[in-house]
Amino acid sequence: MGAQELLLLAVFLYVAGAVAALIFNGSGKFANYLTGLSAFAASLAGIASALLVLTAGAGFRLDAPGWIPFTRFTLEVDQLSAFMVLVISFLVAAVSLYSLSYLDEYTRKNPGVLGFFINIFIASMILVVTVGNGFYFLIFWEIMTLVSYFLVVYEQNREALRAGFLYFLVAHAGAALIMLSFIILFLTTGSFDFAVFRTAKLTPVLSSVLFVLAFVGFSAKAGAVPLHFWLPEAHSVAPSNVSALLSGVMIKTAIYGIIRVCMDFLGAGDWWWGFLVLLIGIVSAVLGMIYALTQHDLKRLLAFSSIENIGIILMGVGVGMLGLALNKPLLVGLGLLAGLYHLLNHATFKGLLFLGAGSVIYRAHTRNLEELGGLAKVMPLTAFIFLVGATSIAAIPPLNGFVSKWFVYQSLFTLGIEGGFADKVFVPLFAMLLAMTGALTAMCFVKAYGTTFTGSFRSDHAEKAREVPFPMLLGKAILGLGCLVFGLGAPLIAPRIVAVVAGLLDTPAVPVSAAFFVFPGDAAQAALSTPLVAVLLIGFLVLPLLLLVLYGGAGVGSRLDATPWACGYRYIPQMTYSSHAFAQPLQIIFRPFYLFSATLQEFGLTAGAYFSTRVAYLVQVEDMWEKFIGRPLARGVQGLGSLIQFLQMGNVRLYCTYIIVALVILLVTIRL
Amino acid sequence: MFDAKLLLIGFLQALFVLLLAPFFAGLSRVLRAKMHSRKGPPLFQYYYDIIKLMKRQEVRPAQATWVFRATPYIIMVSTLLIATLIPMWVLQSPFGIIGDMILVIYLFAMVRFFLAVSGFDSGSGFAQIGVARELALGILVEPTIMLVLFIVALFAGSTNLGAMSEMIALGKISYATPAIWLGMAAFAVATFIETGKLPFDLAEAEQEVQEGPLTEYSGPGLALVKWGLFMKQVVVASLFVAIFFPFGSAVVPGFLGVLGAAVLFFLKLICYYVILAVVENSVARLTLFGSPRITWVALGIALLSFVFYLVQI
Repeated sequence: MGAQELLLLAVFLYVAGAVAALIFNGSGKFANYLTGLSAFAASLAGIASALLVLTAGAGFRLDAPGWIPFTRFTLEVDQLSAFMVLVISFLVAAVSLYSLSYLDEYTRKNPGVLGFFINIFIASMILVVTVGNGFYFLIFWEIMTLVSYFLVVYEQNREALRAGFLYFLVAHAGAALIMLSFIILFLTTGSFDFAVFRTAKLTPVLSSVLFVLAFVGFSAKAGAVPLHFWLPEAHSVAPSNVSALLSGVMIKTAIYGIIRVCMDFLGAGDWWWGFLVLLIGIVSAVLGMIYALTQHDLKRLLAFSSIENIGIILMGVGVGMLGLALNKPLLVGLGLLAGLYHLLNHATFKGLLFLGAGSVIYRAHTRNLEELGGLAKVMPLTAFIFLVGATSIAAIPPLNGFVSKWFVYQSLFTLGIEGGFADKVFVPLFAMLLAMTGALTAMCFVKAYGTTFTGSFRSDHAEKAREVPFPMLLGKAILGLGCLVFGLGAPLIAPRIVAVVAGLLDTPAVPVSAAFFVFPGDAAQAALSTPLVAVLLIGFLVLPLLLLVLYGGAGVGSRLDATPWACGYRYIPQMTYSSHAFAQPLQIIFRPFYLFSATLQEFGLTAGAYFSTRVAYLVQVEDMWEKFIGRPLARGVQGLGSLIQFLQMGNVRLYCTYIIVALVILLVTIRL
Repeated sequence: MFDAKLLLIGFLQALFVLLLAPFFAGLSRVLRAKMHSRKGPPLFQYYYDIIKLMKRQEVRPAQATWVFRATPYIIMVSTLLIATLIPMWVLQSPFGIIGDMILVIYLFAMVRFFLAVSGFDSGSGFAQIGVARELALGILVEPTIMLVLFIVALFAGSTNLGAMSEMIALGKISYATPAIWLGMAAFAVATFIETGKLPFDLAEAEQEVQEGPLTEYSGPGLALVKWGLFMKQVVVASLFVAIFFPFGSAVVPGFLGVLGAAVLFFLKLICYYVILAVVENSVARLTLFGSPRITWVALGIALLSFVFYLVQI
């Protein structure tokens, strides 16, 4: 089978699995297996198809007969699409195996419906990144948003409904802007085909307008600051396997959109385009992490860190766009390489971390970090794999997160050398902020791992937990292996991604690797060899071991102490640092970003003779973005809704009048 | 691409750091005693301590998992790798082909990350206080380190540490440039914080939080983790000295040249430790929320250096 048939097969399997799951909704576990196995098979077909396209270096195009006069259904898979299909399918492969057991939680909550939504959601993402026509792109985009909305509100509790509403609102505000940009392209070119969009002759002003519309529209979906406030809400309330897909790949389809529209269609633009993307990127990275640190809900923490990573990806894309504007192929190649590499890596480790969080919830039934703790003793494998994900995301060499961050730094550095004066002014500052983000990430994931898995059990839930079933471990292990392979395999992967970029923009491929090394275009500027870093790190183990053999006492061994030392007092688990306490220094250092308020309330009750009053310490951390952007937006939409409510009175005769009026208007316009 | 001589130098540098780290730690302890008009311990006391600790039985808290046991080794191997990357004796980064300054910065992050995870893993409240402080300091100091190194790298046109020190050694980047000496000042403050000496002795504050992340270590584990942290101090000092004072390092890796450079480098490190001791003993420990003031000043100096870098162009 060729790449085309495989891709169609994949889509068919997703849809067939979805329908089958819906049919067998009543049969509990069977529906779960249908969902999981069909998605797994489909993801394998998707991976095969994408690999065929990527190795052959040439894509394909499938035209379907047009049902609608002004548009036709086209699948157009170039290397970028294939890359996205690969990333989505890879994560889906792991998530679908994981779901086989994880969905047990939902066997009584309409498993078939959940399975239907999940599979349709995945299929719509695959179609969004492969479709070659603006009209159908918008349709699939909308299906993706709607289906993911249903997944977000699946738990049907107050929290989920609120999150879903916010998500629905922002996603549609973004979709409206994207729609507007496509309509403008349609009006100027007379076609919805991407192939025609590419050749559009646009005035610079119109081009800039399109850029702003598309960028703002897509960045709302990507969760970039300042339109990020929906993301932590939505990603934390969805079922964890869905969260992995939402954070791992759905927000990346928006990155795909940005690259497709702002670079592929519009081509080289003004300097400020790339700069805006870069700026939004670094702001998202810093703020996302600052907020992530103060979360006490494991999944919200992970969701906030997705904002950070989207920021890092946008930084790479921004450098690429600057390169396009400055006509420097080296910058284009490096920037997009950094962005796309981080996109792949983030899908891997964030998927892994969400699946890890799902495992914790599956066993301990809480997401609250204050109630977890000590799980590494009862879930050692989950803990280990989670730690791999945490080290990757904290960019610890030689794992994958480090490699892509290295490329981001290198692309910034190259921009600092090759760019204009304004670039030179900002690039070192961005690098500095990125370093700060790195340190924040390390702290955040030490907290995430530490408060969840180490120390003592802080609640009964945690104590009763045990290791998760094999399929859930397998799903995570695949991604954990991915973290290692995408890190050590950098010299093989980086040139492939560069080929994707070169194919997309018709630029010469930037040399980035030789033998075991990667380098940013020029080996004299810098070089990195993750395989050798790994070899040396392991090799140097000889020295401390040798010292132990030489000087260590024979046979004294080690013994376990019942509890850690507590200054002579009896040790209790409450003595360990809680998630609040851990983040407190940061709340003080970065106070302006938090709208942080702490008050001491006196209850006026007496508690014993010596303590006259009882006081309570209230800490409130508010997201200023939601307060100043999210809530006004929600209020505005609700206000607008009630304003035009009079149109919809529930009166059938009135509706008939509407239909007639619409008909008349249509007839008149066609006549004209 | 591989140069056998350079590789050998890299390994020798790692050995140099490994073997002399307790000496430098002892030196700073002796200097401290002298400034207090005390006699102080012998110069090699830390070697005796470490060897003795290695023979002792290890006691671990029941909460701890494998991370707690693996961390001493992780700290040691990552500092050894950093030692091979820093151009200590020659004007090239001996293992420059496997990584650059960004790798070095993230290897430091690796040390910090695992030390922090192991502190959490021990289940001790003291360790966790130390960990939170260590990481918060990291957030304050890493931007300064990155900014200064980035500016020097922009001058040198390469993020390879060897290229950076070569540019300064050959006078292609002049000391007269305010960007360089301001950067040097900011970096000096940053290295003080990274070495964990007073006034920034927050994470392992002995009198206050019982050596922080090290609280629960004992026996061979404590020996290795202490040794690893001494080594970290030496590599941090080496990074500063190698980049900003590369004079006398061998241009071509020959036997005599490298030997001379190694001796010279040893002396430079001693100078650094003497200055460190003077500072350390003339200040009191900062509180956690007092330290940002100093680190923001360091960052401010780094930004000033950056402004001068811009004006040059």
